[in-house]
Amino acid sequence: MESPDTFTLLPLHMDPTTKTISSTQNPVPHALEAELASLNTLHRSLLSVDTPTGTPPPPVPVNPKRSAQITKLRESGNNEFRKSNYAMAIRMYSLAIEMALGRPGWEPSGLVREEVSGLYANRAQANMALGNWAEGAVDAECSVEMKKVGNAKGWWRRGRCLLEMGRLEEGLEWVGKALEFEASEGDLLGLKREIETKIAQRKR
Amino acid sequence: MVDWVTLSIPFAYLGILVGSLAVFSSLYRKNKAAKAANLAPWFSAHLPRDIYLSLLHIDPEPGQPKIPDSILKAALLRRATEDIHRIVQIRNAKQALQVLLQRGSVGDDLWQRFQRAEKEIEEELRDVVQEANAFAPNWGQTIFQSASEMAQNAHIRESLSELQATAQSEKEWWEKRKAEIQSEFMKELDEEKKPAGVVTPAKPMSKADTDDDAVMVEAGGPASTPGKGKKKPQKGKQ
Repeated sequence: MESPDTFTLLPLHMDPTTKTISSTQNPVPHALEAELASLNTLHRSLLSVDTPTGTPPPPVPVNPKRSAQITKLRESGNNEFRKSNYAMAIRMYSLAIEMALGRPGWEPSGLVREEVSGLYANRAQANMALGNWAEGAVDAECSVEMKKVGNAKGWWRRGRCLLEMGRLEEGLEWVGKALEFEASEGDLLGLKREIETKIAQRKR
Repeated sequence: MVDWVTLSIPFAYLGILVGSLAVFSSLYRKNKAAKAANLAPWFSAHLPRDIYLSLLHIDPEPGQPKIPDSILKAALLRRATEDIHRIVQIRNAKQALQVLLQRGSVGDDLWQRFQRAEKEIEEELRDVVQEANAFAPNWGQTIFQSASEMAQNAHIRESLSELQATAQSEKEWWEKRKAEIQSEFMKELDEEKKPAGVVTPAKPMSKADTDDDAVMVEAGGPASTPGKGKKKPQKGKQ
């Protein structure tokens, strides 16, 4: 970075109708292009903010509208799951995940983690019910990535999927890692034993 | 009477002494400042800051609207987000660097570069807060909160999209693996069937041998046929 009172003047241009900023440089450097693209997206989401000053509100309190929509989608997903309508449940959960990830960037990231983690765990379960072990494994991993502590279900589901796919060593490693976070979880211990007996059987 | 001529000598001595010290000190300091300025900066160019300031300095051409405030606000937010990344880097590097410096593992240059970066980022933060307050009263107090959430959120989305991108290849792998397992299973079935197949051609041979043998084989024959029949529907299911 240069000293505080200088800067590099960039040849920028604003489209008068769409209000998008672009560079008049030719060719546009890759980093600048990416930065301008994210600036334009941010600008668009900033326009929808309804604070009197047009600046993003502080992270808390959260706009309840989106949270309510996400909860509704999750509930209908759960209902479909209970009715064994697994494909429909997956669609509902996917919509809810999209909704949760579509939150404007300045809303609390902790909340996003919490929501998305639960939704991915649910979708993993629906995928498992359909026997889509590969998708279930990825979804459960996403869930765990978002929330490591207090997410025994997510850990267990990926372990189960790996076991079902016959990736026993990977599964054992995964469950071992899970037990570092959830040491006293009976399901995980059971799964670990199961994988270990499978490995022993295969060796025989 | 004071003898001005003899008194001028000590004064001249003092004057020369102080003067030479002053010249040396100023030269030394200039040299040091020049050296410090020549050190490579800690961070690369601050692109969002350049964009923000460039936008601020665009002269509206006649007939063209001015850059609206909302774009400037967005640009300022981007700038604050980049600052957050830099602060995190500085904070993470500081302790490690101090330890390394104490052990003598890194040179003084690096420490100087680091300190300059630290000072710059402080100025930068102050500047951003001022700019923010100019757009909206008290925005300066929350802009970095928003920016830090934005950095976090961007990180979440990045890692999730990375993980989800593996889903397709995982799925393909599993489809392939499943097909493999299935074909292996089929092969096993075929192998199970084969002994039954081998026995049938053996029939005429055994018949040629002795009658006792033929009876034995015939007894085995029907036993293997229901087995075949049982397996066939399974094949259809898969």
